[in-house]
Order: sequence, then structure tokens, then C-alpha cells
Amino acid sequence: MKSIRSRIEARFEFFAHVLFDHRYKMLVVMLLFVFLLASQIPGIRLDTSTEGFLHETDPILIEYEGFRDLFGRDEMAIVAVRSENIFDFKFLGKLKNLHEDLRNNLPYLDDITSLVNARNTHGIDDELIVENLFEKWPANKQELNVLARQAKQNPMYKNLLLSEDGKLTTIVLKTHTYSGQGGETEEDLAGFSDEAPDIGDPLDGDADWNIEKQVYLTDMENSEFVAALGRILDQHRTGDFPVFMAGTPVVTDFLKQSMISNMRRFMGIALVVISIFLFVMFRRLSGVLMPVFIVMVSLVSTVGLMALTGVAIKIPTQILPSFLLSVAVGASVHILVMFFQSFDRGETKRDAIAHALGHSGLAILMTSLTTAAGLLSFSTAEVAPIADLGLFSAAGVILSLVYTIVFLPVLLSIFPIKSKFTKEISGQLSVKGTPGNTATPMPMDAVLNFVARISTQNPVKILLTALILFVIALTGALKIELSHDPVRWLPDQSDVRISNEILDHELKGTTSIEVVVDTKKENGLYDPDLLARLEHSGQLFETYKDDKVYVGKAFSLTMVIKETNQALHGNNPLFYKVPDNRDLIAQELFLFENSGSDDLEDFTDSQFSKARLTLKLPFVDAIAYSSFMDHVQDHFQSGYPHENIQITGMVAILSRVLTNAMHSMMKSYGYAFGVITLLMVLLIGRVKIGFFSMIPNIYPIFIMLGVMGWFHIPMDLFTMLVGSIAIGLAVDDTIHFMHNFRRYYEKYQDPVAAVYETLHTTGRAMLVTTCVLSIGFFTFMFSEMNNLFNFGFLAGFTLILALLSDYFIAPALMVLLNKKTISNS
Amino acid sequence: MQPFLFVLFPLLVKLILFPGLCVADDARARQIMEAVEARDDGDNQTTDMLMVLIDKNKKQRKKFFQNYSKDFGKDTKRIMFIKSPAPIKNTGFLTFDYDDDAKDDDQWLFLPAVGKTKRIATSDKSSSFMGSDLNYSDMTSRNLEDYKFRLLKESTIKGQKVWVIESIPRNRKIEDEIGYKKSIVAVGQDNYLVIRAKMWTSEGGYVKYLEAKKIELIDGIWVITQTQVSKKQGKAFKHQTLLEFTNVKFNQDLDENIFTIRRLEKGLF
Repeated sequence: MKSIRSRIEARFEFFAHVLFDHRYKMLVVMLLFVFLLASQIPGIRLDTSTEGFLHETDPILIEYEGFRDLFGRDEMAIVAVRSENIFDFKFLGKLKNLHEDLRNNLPYLDDITSLVNARNTHGIDDELIVENLFEKWPANKQELNVLARQAKQNPMYKNLLLSEDGKLTTIVLKTHTYSGQGGETEEDLAGFSDEAPDIGDPLDGDADWNIEKQVYLTDMENSEFVAALGRILDQHRTGDFPVFMAGTPVVTDFLKQSMISNMRRFMGIALVVISIFLFVMFRRLSGVLMPVFIVMVSLVSTVGLMALTGVAIKIPTQILPSFLLSVAVGASVHILVMFFQSFDRGETKRDAIAHALGHSGLAILMTSLTTAAGLLSFSTAEVAPIADLGLFSAAGVILSLVYTIVFLPVLLSIFPIKSKFTKEISGQLSVKGTPGNTATPMPMDAVLNFVARISTQNPVKILLTALILFVIALTGALKIELSHDPVRWLPDQSDVRISNEILDHELKGTTSIEVVVDTKKENGLYDPDLLARLEHSGQLFETYKDDKVYVGKAFSLTMVIKETNQALHGNNPLFYKVPDNRDLIAQELFLFENSGSDDLEDFTDSQFSKARLTLKLPFVDAIAYSSFMDHVQDHFQSGYPHENIQITGMVAILSRVLTNAMHSMMKSYGYAFGVITLLMVLLIGRVKIGFFSMIPNIYPIFIMLGVMGWFHIPMDLFTMLVGSIAIGLAVDDTIHFMHNFRRYYEKYQDPVAAVYETLHTTGRAMLVTTCVLSIGFFTFMFSEMNNLFNFGFLAGFTLILALLSDYFIAPALMVLLNKKTISNS
Repeated sequence: MQPFLFVLFPLLVKLILFPGLCVADDARARQIMEAVEARDDGDNQTTDMLMVLIDKNKKQRKKFFQNYSKDFGKDTKRIMFIKSPAPIKNTGFLTFDYDDDAKDDDQWLFLPAVGKTKRIATSDKSSSFMGSDLNYSDMTSRNLEDYKFRLLKESTIKGQKVWVIESIPRNRKIEDEIGYKKSIVAVGQDNYLVIRAKMWTSEGGYVKYLEAKKIELIDGIWVITQTQVSKKQGKAFKHQTLLEFTNVKFNQDLDENIFTIRRLEKGLF
């Protein structure tokens, strides 16, 4: 093992010499490479949608997109206004003005519904009237009262346009389903299929049928929509007309804006923290500028790579930039520590670079590989942005490895650096015979000595204490709660969160499960039996209630039929039901279709073969939906044996994300553990010690899980990342520790001396990199988003634990496992 | 008051109420559109109509109609019966399309399953005609005074010379009523038929592409016997309608009594 390692070290030294000799050529090559990737960045996309959490190939997403293609976007933006008296001329006038303003000035608006234009179906004598509720503005109080009564009695309005207490009314806005990008030009007659071959019989009629997959409304378009909505509402909002907005499009936009400001803030803080630490460590400008430059080009290249491959930045991937900055800086630090040590001792630049690369090259290679392996463990995750994060942060780590062992030496060889040779103070170290050290302040040595003394003198006590803590943590870990609840990510006091919670409460739910019943035949929905079952299902679900989930409203095509049937029979409430005559159903639907409403397309396809049943649910943690989802599944499977059933909608997406996340977490933890153990065994060259070296690596993870359990921090998409990230990072310290321990143990044949020596050399870099990394993670606690706060806290905390376990548990283990063979070497 | 004042006064009122009018209207374009409206389309007509609705998954749905219409002065009366599909067979439609703007068109629907005729309020012509991609406003004659016209260019479509004319409703009320904020039509220079039209809907951001697929000369009258309407939102196809007219006959000397509620409820034959 020793010979292999020395050979590799020699290779690194040789490589460093080659780099030095061709430094200008290499500079050009490196700059060109970075430039190529950086030039891709303008094309990067952002995606904060709920469905963006699933892979494009996920069957649940495909099913949802099929639904959305048929019925349009199911997530509505909702504008709500509260008033003690909604049916008041003054209030309604304001509502109408707002409605008109929104209708005329909102971009990408597909449909707008409020009391102003709500469908009002009724019969007068022999006339069937399907009109807007306020088709004719009431001339006096009496007429207004009639409309108010109709509105309050209309089952369709309840909990959609009017709250149950009648004091909150909404304007429901549906945006376009598809992006307008590259679509319709305003140019005169463009768009006809002149170029297409003559279609012969036009009743085959699909010559200009566009079958390519459409792009859904983009995040830019959604933001434009939300911004315009916000502006219009600001103009209408007064003390007695308190208007607010909610709904998924608004939440999505909020998450996006917050993500952009977060990324800027975190990167800024990370850079400042890194710079301060680098300055404290090296006390020179080159020691700050060069590592910062290296991490910046690593970051730029990684984001460029994302843009190049068309991968969008999503909510979890927003941690990538600042994460990468913190992680990538460690490698540079290890090289620079060694370089400055040799350089300040009076070696030439060429030799100092070679020495640094020879000494730390292998360790950096191994730490980068293990970090990448930890991160790569996410790349197969069934949650799309987690997989992206895994893949691209691993790519970023590898890129930064390349930049650290190629670009950094090139920079060192080209730019002038002053040697501190004359000022050097030697003989600071307590252990004799070790290489002279840099200008590290004395207190650090005292700390390191203290650590070394405790850990080598009381190994058994340390391990026992660790064991007790481990057991406590394990009992806590069993209490961990799973969670996926994007609305609760929003800051508690933010308008968008409060608005959503108010609406959710007052309208009995703002999200939905969508059930599509496919009869598989044209006009299948004329079947009275099917409609009766559909009606029954809706009624049944409206009585459902468990701890957190209830159905605020169930509606489908039967609502339209019931209302038409009633209107056709002189508004007699007894006829508010689905008729049991197939022809009558068909004719009533035909009547409705011809009476001025396009609303049927919200409930059925144009073939009348598929019916949509919407179950409106409150927005709660996805974990709470699971038993209800099962219930819905069972109900439709047994009640609709001859029909195809699709259960989709936002709730299905949220549930799926949660399920996928849990699968992925188990897989990724297992994978990270396996791969890293293998790498450790390879690095150390002994199976037994390789396995033992994993103890300080996974120990902090268990403690972290214990803390989550005991302190009720939920396991969600973000906190689940901590485990694998921490394994990948904590192992770096362990590798550096073991790498140096082996080296010094071989030298002194005394584990205690080796521990002292290791802590005083690599132990310093470990302390500094841990500080940088954990502060890097703690900056996420400045986020207004609750999910990022938890993530930042846990990740930073776990890294500190990792350092402590490398400072105490690893030395204790090494002292117990390795015997002292020669005394006082 | 001098007779010419009668003419001038309403015009002045319009100018004040609808400043859009002040924008110079294209006289040539208006002339062409007047010729389109004045074109001989027969005083009375019988025809069978096949309507095929095609959704984005290319699923088809067909309806067959029997259609009778007759001009009464400047008004048109029309009666339609559905021949298939079976569940709505013999459902009938009676429409009085009045030339007078102030008067809403009358429309009755007869539902055989309940044996009842219902009058349907139709002030809103922007809604879909029988679930198709056409609006009621596309099916009735239009009042040229409601629009501003502009001749964009002359062009050739499949060898036929056409005028390309833009038409914009004069005000929001008219726009809401017809459901389009703008249309561009191609008028054949030889037959004064609108052979293509592109319509931008007021709501939902749709564009409709209407195209005459087959034109025949029947009893000396040019008739579009196949029409295709495609509805798109952005690049995405939403829906398509095909209309095919067969057994088109003119001057059948239709009895006035055909266009009555009694006849609607009894059926034609």
C-alpha cells in the first residue's frame, strides 16, 4: 500500500511539473473550457411548479398531463374579497369593475368567473334562460334581492364563488394551458396549411393537425400573469374592498421570486464567509482570490452544464450554487496549505506546487470522488429536482476537482506570490520532528492539543458516551414524521400564505383530486345508470372526513344536467336531479350546449365519453392525503368495473412526490453508504479498518435523525438531502484523517503520536473546511422559506457533528485498533 | 327638418359615441364586403348538413341535420332537425334572424323527450353553435356598420385571386356580442365568397381558422359545400369542426307554415 501511494504521489508531482512547464498553454485551454460552459447560462430555465417535482416520464405526471390536455389547467388563481354585505350595489359595482379590468388586462387569461358572469340557468314560462347572473344590472333593491336569493341558493356557487357564510366572494381565473411561445403570429393570414399536400376528402380532415407535444405555460408567462394580477388588484384595493389573491399560480410565482432572491443572498453570504476564512487562514490576498476564483468557475461551469442539457433550476436545486461554493473550496484549501508551507519554507514555486499536489492530490481526488458519490446517490431519485441536484452537484464537485488540480496550479505558477520565507516562525508545534507550519495562531494549537489528549487518553470512555448518545438518537429517529407540504414552506406571516389559508378555510379547500371516468364509448355519458353512480359518488365523498382531510365540494357533469332539468321543469326544486331517461339526458345536454354556455368542456370531452369528477380538498400535508387517496381508489375500482378510471389532479401529484421521495431517500442513503464504504476500504487498503472508518461517518447521520425525531423536524424533500450530503462531506474529513494517520502511523509506529501529528496538520484544514461548510449551510437559515431553514440548520449541525466524531471517535478507534510497536520513535 | 339631417344626425351621434369611426374606414374594403353581403345566396334553400366535431385526440363525433331556410324580406327564418345521433333525433331548431339590429333574434328548441319547446334567449351570439367551433355570429348575417374594414393586400390562394381584408368591431359591445376582437378574411375576386377567415376570439386567446374546402355552383349560385374550422391556442390545436352540405337545393318555394313552432313540434314529415 505504501508503495502504491508513493507511486501515485510521485505521479501527481510529475503532473505538477508538466503543468508548470506548460502553464500558459494550460491557462488558455482552461479559460476556453470555462467560457464555453459559461456562454450557455443565459438559456437557463426556472421551474417552481408542483408537477416539476416529478420526472417527465413518471406515469403519474403523464396521466396528469393527459388530464390537463383535455380539461385545461386545474390550478386556478383566485382573487377573493370579503364584505359584510356582498349583495349591495356599491360593493357589486366595485366587483364588476375589478372583473372587467381583469378580463381586459390580464395576459394569458383563458377564463374568468365571478358572481358577475356566473352561469345562471332558469326557466321563465316557456323560455329557458342561461345567462350571466348579472347579465342585466338590477334596477332596484327588489331585483337585486331576487338575484341575491338565486345566488345563495345555487349549489354551484357555494364554496366556489361564495363562501358558506356569504361574506366572501371570489373571482376565479384560469390561465392558458399552453405557452404562447413561437405560436400565433398576428400576421394576416398566416397559419393555414398552404404547404401541406391537398387533403382530398376534407372529412379525413387532419392535414394541418399538429401532433407535436405542446409546451405548457412557462414560468415566465406565469410570472407575467401574476405580476399583472398584483398590479390590477393594487389599483382596486380599498379599506372597504379588501381584495387578495391566492391559488397555485400565485404560490408558484412566490416560490420563484423567493428562490431568485435566496440564491443571490446565499451566494453572497457564502462568498463573504469563504473569503473571511481564507483570509484568516492564509493572511494573503492570493490565498483568498485564487480559491474564490476556482469555486466561482466551478459554479459557473455547473450552471452552464445545466443550461446546456436543458435542466431547469427548481426549488431543491436552488441550494446548488451556495452548496457548491462551500464544498468546492475545501480542495483548494488543502492544496494551498501545502503549497504555502513549502513555498514559505523557501522552496521554488515549481517545487512547492509539486509538493502540494504530491502531498494532497490523492486525498483531494478521493474526497472529491466520495463527495460526488454521496451526491450522485440522488441521481436516480424519483423526484426530478433531487435527481438533478444529485447529478449536477456531483458534476460540479468533479469540475471543481479538475479546476483545483489543473487550473489552481496554473494560476499559482503564473501569478506573482510573495514568499514569507524570511518572516517564518518555526518550531511552533508541540510534537517534535514535524514539518514547520504556517502562521497559524497559537489558540488553534491549544485546541488541537486538547482534542488529541482527550481522544487518545480516554478512548473507551469516548466510545461508550458515543454509544449512549447513539441509542438515544435511535429512539428519536423512530419518531420522524414524513412531510411534503409546499404551502407550509412559505413564511408564516407572508401574504400569500395567509391568503391561501384563509381561502382554504372559507371555501373548504383550494386543491383537488380529479377523477376521470372513461366510458370508452361515444355518448357513453348519456347512460342514466352511469350518471346516477357518478352523482352518488360525489354525494358520498362530500360526507368524507378524517383527521385532516375532508371534501369541501364534489362536482361533475351531473350538476349541469340537474340544473338544466330543473330549469326545464319550471324551476321546480323537485327536478334538481338527473333524469333516468337516456334521450332526455342527451337532449338536455344538447339544450345546454346550445344555450350560450361553453362550460361543458370543463366537465366532459367533446365525445361525451369521459366525465370529470372534481373533489375539492383542503391543502394539507401530502402525507395526510394517502388514506383518502386509497379510499377514492377503492371506491372507483369497485363501483366502476366497466369504465377506465384515472385519479389525478394536484393532490395526486403531491402524494406521488412524497412516495417517490421516501423511496428515493432509502435508496440514496443505502447507495451512498455502500459506495463510500467501498471507497474507504480501497483507500485504506484494509477491509476491517475501512469498515471501522465508516463509524465516524455515519454516526453524525444517526444523531441528526435523532434530533429530527426528538424536535419534530419533518423529513421532507429538503431534510432528506442532509443525510447523503453529510455522508459525502463528512467522509472527506475522515479520509484526510485516515490518510494522514496511516502516513504518520507508518512513520512513528505509535497511534498516539500519529493522532497528534494528524490533528496538527490535517486537523487544521478539517476545522477550517468544516467551519466554512457549516456556516455555508447555516446561511440557509436566513431564508424566509421554512424548508430551507430546516435544511440549513440540520446540514450545518450534522457537519459539526461529523468534525467532532473525526476529532474524538476516529482517534479513539485508531488508538484501540492500532498497537504501538516502537516507543518514542 | 330637412331629410338629409335625418341621415346626418344618427351619423353624428355615432361619431361622438364611437370615436373608432373617426379612423378612416377603407372605402374599397367596405365596398368589397358590401358585395359579399349582397351576393345572391338564394331566397330559400334546403340542404342536409353533416357536422363533424374532432377533438385534439382526433376523436370524431358526427351530427346530421336537415335544414330549411327562407328569406322574408330582409329577415331570414330557418328550421333545422337533427336526424342523428339517435338520442337527440328529431330535436328541432327554429330561428328567426332579424335584419333589425335592435331586435334580438328569436330561437326555439324542441325537445322530443319531454315534448316541449323552449325559447332560448340569444342576445349573446358569441357562444358556440351546436358545440362546434363556430359561433352563432358566424351563422347569421352581419351588419357591416358594426365593423371597420381595411384592405390589407391582394393575394392568391390556390390559384384564386383574393382580397385580404381586416375587420374589427367598432366597439366593445359589438365585440362581446360576436365574440371576436378581430378577423382577417380572404374574399375571392371572382365569386365574392369568403374562402378563408382567421378570427381572434375576445376571450381565451384562441384563433380560429376557417377555410372553404369545397365550392360548387348550384342552380347558378356559388355555394361552399365543405367548410373546415380549426381552433388553436398558441401553437396548440384545441378542436376542429367540419361542415359538409349535401342535397343543396334553391328556390323550393317553401311554405311559410314550415317556419312555425307548430311545425317544429310536429316534425317535418
